[in-house]
Amino acid sequence: MQSKRCTLVVAMIAFIFFSFTSILVFAQDAPKSIKIGASISLTGRFAAGGIDVADGYKLAVKHINDNGGILVKQFNKKIPVELVIYDDESDPSKTVTRLEKLNAEKVVAYLGEFASDMNIAGLGIAEKNKVPWVGVTIAVENVFNQGFKYVFGPNMFSFMEVAAFLDALDAIPKAQRPTKIANFELQVDWGKECTKYLQKYAKERGYTIALERKFAPDTKDFSSMILAAKSAGCDAVFAVPTPPQSMALIKQMKELDYAPKATCFVRGPDLSNFWQVMGKDANYIMTSGEWTPDMPYPGNKKLVADYRAQYPNKLMGMPVGNGYSAFQVLADAISRADKLDRESIRQALTTTNIVTVKGKVTFDKRGVGNVPHVLAQWQNGKLVIIVSPDYKPAPVLVATPWSKRK
Amino acid sequence: MAERKKGFVVAAVVVIALALVPLVVAREYVFSILCMIFLYVTLSQSWNILGGYTGQINVGQAAFFGIGALAARLLWVAGVPFYLSILAGGLSSVILAIIIGLPALKLRGHYFAIGTLAVASIAQITVGNILPGISFLPAQHMATYSLIPRYYVFLIIMVTALAAVYITVNSRIGLGMEATRDDEEAAQMVGVNTFKYKMIAFLISSFFAGLAGGGFAYFNASYYWYLPFTLMWCFEPILIVFIGGVGSFIGPIIGSVCYVLLKELFALTLGEANLLIFGIVFILTILFFPKGIIGLPAKLRQLFRRRGNVVGR
Repeated sequence: MQSKRCTLVVAMIAFIFFSFTSILVFAQDAPKSIKIGASISLTGRFAAGGIDVADGYKLAVKHINDNGGILVKQFNKKIPVELVIYDDESDPSKTVTRLEKLNAEKVVAYLGEFASDMNIAGLGIAEKNKVPWVGVTIAVENVFNQGFKYVFGPNMFSFMEVAAFLDALDAIPKAQRPTKIANFELQVDWGKECTKYLQKYAKERGYTIALERKFAPDTKDFSSMILAAKSAGCDAVFAVPTPPQSMALIKQMKELDYAPKATCFVRGPDLSNFWQVMGKDANYIMTSGEWTPDMPYPGNKKLVADYRAQYPNKLMGMPVGNGYSAFQVLADAISRADKLDRESIRQALTTTNIVTVKGKVTFDKRGVGNVPHVLAQWQNGKLVIIVSPDYKPAPVLVATPWSKRK
Repeated sequence: MAERKKGFVVAAVVVIALALVPLVVAREYVFSILCMIFLYVTLSQSWNILGGYTGQINVGQAAFFGIGALAARLLWVAGVPFYLSILAGGLSSVILAIIIGLPALKLRGHYFAIGTLAVASIAQITVGNILPGISFLPAQHMATYSLIPRYYVFLIIMVTALAAVYITVNSRIGLGMEATRDDEEAAQMVGVNTFKYKMIAFLISSFFAGLAGGGFAYFNASYYWYLPFTLMWCFEPILIVFIGGVGSFIGPIIGSVCYVLLKELFALTLGEANLLIFGIVFILTILFFPKGIIGLPAKLRQLFRRRGNVVGR
């Protein structure tokens, strides 16, 4: 009996001792860094956008680490971020192997990339590996209708781009407001989705889609579409062309003397070098304004100042701000997660509610971002915001005929 | 004969060792790299039988790879077992090859190359227009996704392709192919039906390109439908065959291993400079070792022998 009691006491002491030491070990077991991974096109055909996204990520990491890192609940201490970026060479097959490598390196989350081909390959891997994936420029809503749990898109989607365009038309005084829209549909999933929403929203808001024409991603001659829109009397044009196509469209519209009151090309004119390439012909063109250096949201001034100090000769493109904002979203989720593991971070991402450098970001149940619907317009060499739910935008300028432009 | 036996034993040991990899390695990254190597070995060997052994430069491999991927993915997602879907991918590629081959193989030299490139471009544009969206795996496939069965699928496809190419090029058909490559007119003069041998090579090549495409469709969780039709799949197999050694059996294998591993190594260690350095390595290989890596020992022996002669004088 005595020996039994002795054994029990020894066992109790041992239990308490091991519990205590394991708590100590646990408390000291905070990792040296929070490892986050991204596979980005640093070379190849999408390198320009990829490098911008990577620059945005790197600046966000620098700003976070300058403050000691992210405060992690589990360890109640700040832990610096370690960002691992691998080049996928603009090749989706390599995106898959790079993300598998990052998975093997035990990253807690993936960050998205600039181009759709790579993003699409990547988000499947994220879902398979159960690693949270925070995108940057994935505007196709259909991606988020697949029941994915680990994929988040804190950016504007097709329905937001269309709504912002119609908001811009609404902002024009009634006497000058366009009423007949020409929809030039790019034959990709994004273009099709925009058409669906344009048809729906235009009807609800009293606009007529007087012309619909489809074009392929490698189309270079748009003259038949432009002439059809002109003869149909369309006074507004909406499209999501590729960047080179947006330039070709504007040149051909000028050659064919077609100057609708409002022209919105969601992609292309949003690039920082658009004015340098197009000159005054870029005037009045509306485009995505998801992020601009002038936005008044907290942290944006610092981002712009630091970027310009670091890269004095580089133009600051939209993907820089989008990349920075995506990192802010992920860092916020890590700081709110109960544990520093993938599942806790995923759960924290679902309840995101943060104001980033491009405005407030939340997610719906599918992971689709609720972000401000913003539209910008080129006005005398400057990309100014003409639609914003958060602050007073500049007035929308109605395009004048080509012959009257100086 | 003894050499050949030794070769078979080595090949059998390598295949068994590769089959045992999933039992000793748990890292998915290793599987994904090996899957890529197997894919490129299959694709480059399929190009080699037509380009290297028969002398017909096919610059449109993407069309055959892509049609295999398209057929396999559609069938698999519709509920057909994956192995039958992949096989159907290979067969659909053969059907395309028959349609294309009958007129195209009557063309010679550059004309055949341009013709096949045109086919690949047309296929890419057509698929891009008809299927502009994304191919997602249905939720039930996603939930059970594992790289290990994909690894074995790629391994089986590769071993089958290698065996088929080896048997073909070491048979009477292989002699006909080589005769066609070396001098088509002379071969015809002595009664070789060159069109027949070109067609056989084209069908074998397309079948394995289609199977590789089927493997691609089974491997990838989500991708744009047009992706396997992109011209990258035309040029990479050619690049690999030239790096390894064109017209040799081992060349595409060595080329694929070097291509995938070196690119991976360069990308992970050299960052943005990786493509530049890989490009320089490729140019140097073509300039100084036109027979590829497989010709390297002979070239070095020749170099040392020449240097020895100079010293001897």
